[in-house]
Amino acid sequence: MQATLLVCIFTPLIGACLLPLIGQRAPRVRNLFSLLFVLASFLCSASLLPAVLSGSKPLIRLALPLGLSLGFQADALSVFMAMTASLVACVILIYSFGYIKDYDNQNEYYFMAVLFLGAMMGLVYSTSLILLYVFWEISAIACWRLIGFYREELTIVRANKAYVVTVFGALIMLVGFLGIWGQTGTFELTAMQGAHVPAWCVVLILFGILSKSATFPLHSWLPDAGVAPSPVTSLLHAAVLVKIGVYAYARLFAVTFTIDPVFTQIVPIIAAVSALISAGCAMVETDIKRIIAYSTISQLAFILLGVSIGNETGLVGGMLYILAHSVAKGGLFLCAGIVEHNLHTKDINQMGGLYKRFPLTAVAFALCSLSVMGVPPFSGYFAKFLVVQGALTANQPWLAGVFILGAFMTVFYLSRVFFKVFLGPETNHHAHEKSRAMVGSVVFLGVLALVLGVFISLPAELASRIWGVL
Amino acid sequence: MASVCAWLLGGATLPLMLIGLPILGGLIIWLLKKYYAAQVAAVLVFGLSNVFLCLALYLGGGASVSLPFAGYGFEAKFISGGLSAVLPLFASVVAFLLARYSVTYYRGKKEGGLFLLFFFVSVGFVNGALLSDNLPVMLVFWEGLLISMSALLLIGNLQKPRATIKMLWISGVADLMLMLGVIITIQVAGQSNISAISHLPVSGLGAAGCVLMLLGALGKAGAVPFHSWIPLAAEDAQSPFLALFPAALEKILGIGLAIRIVTQIYDVQPGSPVSTFVMIVGAVTLFIGVAMALIQKDMKRLLSYHAISQVGYMILGVGSALPIGIIGALFHMMNHVLYKSGLFLTAGAIEKRTGTTDLKIVSGLGKLMPVTAACFVVFGLAISGFPGLNGFFSKELIFDAALETNVVYYIVALVGAAMTAISFLKLGGAAFFGKLTLPQGVKHVKEAPVGMALPAIVLALLCVLLGVFNQLAHTFLLQPALGFTESYGGWPESGMLVTLSCVALGVALLDHLYGRKKSGSALQSADHIHYAPGAKQVYALAEAGKLDPYNWLTAVINGFSRVCMQIEKGVSWVYDKGVPGLVRGISSQLHRAANGSLTRYLALAAAGLVCVAIVFLIILL
Repeated sequence: MQATLLVCIFTPLIGACLLPLIGQRAPRVRNLFSLLFVLASFLCSASLLPAVLSGSKPLIRLALPLGLSLGFQADALSVFMAMTASLVACVILIYSFGYIKDYDNQNEYYFMAVLFLGAMMGLVYSTSLILLYVFWEISAIACWRLIGFYREELTIVRANKAYVVTVFGALIMLVGFLGIWGQTGTFELTAMQGAHVPAWCVVLILFGILSKSATFPLHSWLPDAGVAPSPVTSLLHAAVLVKIGVYAYARLFAVTFTIDPVFTQIVPIIAAVSALISAGCAMVETDIKRIIAYSTISQLAFILLGVSIGNETGLVGGMLYILAHSVAKGGLFLCAGIVEHNLHTKDINQMGGLYKRFPLTAVAFALCSLSVMGVPPFSGYFAKFLVVQGALTANQPWLAGVFILGAFMTVFYLSRVFFKVFLGPETNHHAHEKSRAMVGSVVFLGVLALVLGVFISLPAELASRIWGVL
Repeated sequence: MASVCAWLLGGATLPLMLIGLPILGGLIIWLLKKYYAAQVAAVLVFGLSNVFLCLALYLGGGASVSLPFAGYGFEAKFISGGLSAVLPLFASVVAFLLARYSVTYYRGKKEGGLFLLFFFVSVGFVNGALLSDNLPVMLVFWEGLLISMSALLLIGNLQKPRATIKMLWISGVADLMLMLGVIITIQVAGQSNISAISHLPVSGLGAAGCVLMLLGALGKAGAVPFHSWIPLAAEDAQSPFLALFPAALEKILGIGLAIRIVTQIYDVQPGSPVSTFVMIVGAVTLFIGVAMALIQKDMKRLLSYHAISQVGYMILGVGSALPIGIIGALFHMMNHVLYKSGLFLTAGAIEKRTGTTDLKIVSGLGKLMPVTAACFVVFGLAISGFPGLNGFFSKELIFDAALETNVVYYIVALVGAAMTAISFLKLGGAAFFGKLTLPQGVKHVKEAPVGMALPAIVLALLCVLLGVFNQLAHTFLLQPALGFTESYGGWPESGMLVTLSCVALGVALLDHLYGRKKSGSALQSADHIHYAPGAKQVYALAEAGKLDPYNWLTAVINGFSRVCMQIEKGVSWVYDKGVPGLVRGISSQLHRAANGSLTRYLALAAAGLVCVAIVFLIILL
């Protein structure tokens, strides 16, 4: 079991370093290996599922000097996150085979993408705050290189912005970690179960979490990062990277530490403001990727509400939201990528009637949109229902009302994009869906969003094991 | 029959079959899209199977099945009995007739297969919503209808999706309100199965839950302010869609749920604030709907406004919270489904044969389409509340409840009835009994095909039967559905109300004759109302969309979104200009500070050390 855990983390981390070497000689083999490394993480995480569901928590730990240690542990939360991230990453890599093939720096692309996924695996399984911070920063570096993939001046400026904001937040968070160390004398999460964290440490850690999960007002880097290639925006800004912050919140403040109850009021308020303002921006924006990015900020607020509201219903809703949103929003970014890749524009005012030329992409976009809107039987419905129910269970009906307003806005802006881009009079008579890998990926994610809704009891069962460990 | 019912009920699988079988049927019918005869056979098989299974459920006395599903209040629990036994049966009969009509309507059109696929998926979802005992699972089917409705509305309108987006926005808002209401209700009740919830207090959070659930239910039924997508859909959508959704399924679902909220889930008392609120919504819906119907010149648009105004009567009945009002609402809903679906079928027949329902282009078809005209007459008389037909009996019950609650509601309802009769005299006179006018290029018009005429004839017969034998309808459908022991069937008790209703119809006839004489044509017979001083200005505002709540909603959203974007620009300025400017300014100052003085450097180093020490002391202490 411990070996499986190590394979899960170190296969993508070490494998990523080999990819440029393989790529020098055989680009196709490199692509295949990049997929295999990430698939290995998914399969290993999946193989840990029976043990986790039966209540055991496989642990591997190596003691280091100065009271530090290198430890990884699989529990319901980490396996849930690892499976979600690696599954969507697999699909995004397959999509990349079609999208990235015409660009320079492919070796670096696959290196950074797989390294990023490895960092995510390390982050979710790590048992120490220091290790969590290290993987956090590795993911930031990978994100920085991937956003700046095109090497144009604007993309470099935007990549720097994303890096500076998230690293600034992480450094403040590190001070918070030091504060916890000052309080408990350890960085080991397993040794701090149930420890009370002072409010000032929580505030500092929140800087890191909110900047990584792009929550207002620390969100500004996310819409700007839309200059990156679409699989990057999908991987980083929809499916995986932005979930790191909410994962950290769940890991630290929902299942490890106890914090002042005031944070179950303050954090949801921050989330509510973030949900509404970003939804408003999505409504008037005309760049398709920026619209989806603002939508991500808005939906992340729902997740943050779920994990921060302080009850089981909300937390399970938040976790299901992470899964549903990763799949559906990942799909939306990839659909946007197909359109942008073929039309060479991101302005929705220059699009229209694309259902004729992009029929499968249109269907996939519709399926993913319905899931993000929370229309049943898509997975997004169950997540949204439970998150709002969590707010009511916490006796905060006004908060539930505000998030229902956010849900109204989601219906408005996503339907606006779909109708504007795919329906109406046809504006482009020459473009068409080219790559099978790209189209197949988005259709898979659209169908997966639906299938996960029909079989929601499976992820719900896993998510239900997360609560109650305190 | 009884043994077959017992066999089916043995495994309590009937509710699950009622959801799965129509969806399977839809897929098969879609696959048979190129073979008309096979498609007709499949529609008959699956449509009648649905009717038979619903009948088995009704005759078998109900069924219950529960499956584990997701936890956290989600339980796939289906119970049939009372309202949830009668409504699926009623819906199945109407759906079968409409499916049979649709397959002929779409004969030779490539979109027919898809239409029938989503048609039957909708039927499965409606069965699921009606049979679900678990509120969150009921929402799965209820809100899932958004998908099939959007698909049906988009068929043939992919280039012009304006009605779909309007429907999606409005229904989305109503459905999310219902979702919040359901969550609040679960919170107040402490559990999520309807059968275990009884008469929750309508106060505090419970009042919010009750109102939100009612808004969601009435929004689905097409009440003001959730109504304005229907007339737009009437312009763009084909008649089978209009007959299926705004006329039938939405009313069955919406009014069915509203009745359950008022009679079972919440303790809504007559005269209570919630009752008053609902009755005001009903009265406003009734009046706005019929007032707008009066001035329409397109048959489908006119009918669509009546689909709104008639729901106003049902809401008045439900909102009264009186037994006579509630049974009247249920009866009126059923009657409305029969005659309004029938009316859309007659419009569809005209559309099929002439390519339009614009009465300025096509009129006087009575002699060319006598069967369709005869059916129209029955439906028109029924909706106008002509004594002896089904609409008359249900309206009288609602009049009774309205008068008992407040005379104002009764007056609105009575005026509405007169205006309904005026607009149907105008519609019938223009479409069937005026001078023959045909669209350019159309030389010969035949009666509707048998596959389309037969369903309309059956619906017309049902309108007559439910009127003549309304006592039977009460005994076998309405009373079992609501669990009432007292019967409200038979001829209305109040002779005064009947007399006033007849007077209203007489006034309508006189007004029509006056208008016809003044304008010279049936189509313009209501123009003297349209262009009356005061009314003319209000109608002008309404026709310009100034009174459309949807336009108000979009204006609010756009205003809010622009404010959000300004805030976002401010935040972006801080990141893109503010912070870099500040850093550059500080570094410039530091650059000046670096003047080579050792004393200054030592002082700065000492200050830095002190700062670090303070931070560590804070952490350690």
